[in-house]
Amino acid sequence: MKKVLKITKMFKLRRIFLALIQIGILYIFSLVGSFLGKVLHLNFPGSLIGMGILFILLRLGIFPYNWVVIGGNWLLAELLLFFIPSVVAIMQYMQFLHREGLDLFLIILISTVTVMVSSGLTAEMITRKGGKAL
Amino acid sequence: MSEFVGFISVVLTIIFYYCSKALYGRIRFVLFSPLLIAPAALVIGLLTLHISYSSYIIGGKWLSILLQPAIVAFALPLYKHYELLKKYFPEIILSVLVGTLSAFLSSALLGLGANFEPQIILSLAPRSVTTPIAIDVSNNLGGIPSLTAVFVIFTGLMGLVIGPLVIRFLHLRSPIAKGVLLGTGAHGCGTSAALSLGSLEGTIASLAMIFAGLATIVLAPVIFPLLLRL
Repeated sequence: MKKVLKITKMFKLRRIFLALIQIGILYIFSLVGSFLGKVLHLNFPGSLIGMGILFILLRLGIFPYNWVVIGGNWLLAELLLFFIPSVVAIMQYMQFLHREGLDLFLIILISTVTVMVSSGLTAEMITRKGGKAL
Repeated sequence: MSEFVGFISVVLTIIFYYCSKALYGRIRFVLFSPLLIAPAALVIGLLTLHISYSSYIIGGKWLSILLQPAIVAFALPLYKHYELLKKYFPEIILSVLVGTLSAFLSSALLGLGANFEPQIILSLAPRSVTTPIAIDVSNNLGGIPSLTAVFVIFTGLMGLVIGPLVIRFLHLRSPIAKGVLLGTGAHGCGTSAALSLGSLEGTIASLAMIFAGLATIVLAPVIFPLLLRL
């Protein structure tokens, strides 16, 4: 029993180690993306270029899915964590937000509802019409 | 000293995040989202301890940096669901375009209606797309990038709260429509909400988020100068 526990613990440590290395690999993709963006004068965030490159390499079978899947899925599962420092940035704009907060709140609320309703209804209508609704 | 504050900031951010995530797991109510509770606790903590944002972000930036590999990681669901994406490509593209244009139109009209300066309106313009793109577009348009970052987050929070309500109100059944709505309306935050509905919804949302970003890069510099002349 003790031995089994030890083995699962080792397995867990191995997974964490793999995840860290894979996050490093994904980060390198974003660095390569920013580099290419600069060299080719593309007006595009490096991370999206890196995503495109990784997608193409996965499709072509050059880069194995298993090499990034543990770290990648962890990053996607904890996505909100990486937004928290940007939310905390709100404290820098307290005065402006205090002054214009209500107007801004209403604009963002109405505009976001507009975007959601228009895009969601368009997609729902097309999928129904095409008979491809799931 | 400031390195120490930075280190504590990272540790506390992670602790608050996991605590609020556990809380949200029990009380599935949108106002308990980790993106509301954790930053609120942090801001209150920083203000009472008189720690400035610039000291906090020395550590906080290490978490923001992880957004880069996280966006690269969106290649994984795209790869895994490639067949589906191929099948629904026209639906996604068309609805994202409609959504992006209505984002521009509503931001410009409401901003003008509220008598905001053009600089504020231009900072509002790209707020429904993912932060790195929004900041870039805001810069190109002549907005204030750091304010855009705040608006992007506001939009994300708003989308997390109202996205599921809008889906229920419109009686949407297609996972494509749900994914497109969340990804176009509320970028990565919407995508994380869509991932909790299902992996298909999440994938469609991430694709919608990416296309909305691309559409914003291409269309905003063309359309906004026209809209502001109204």
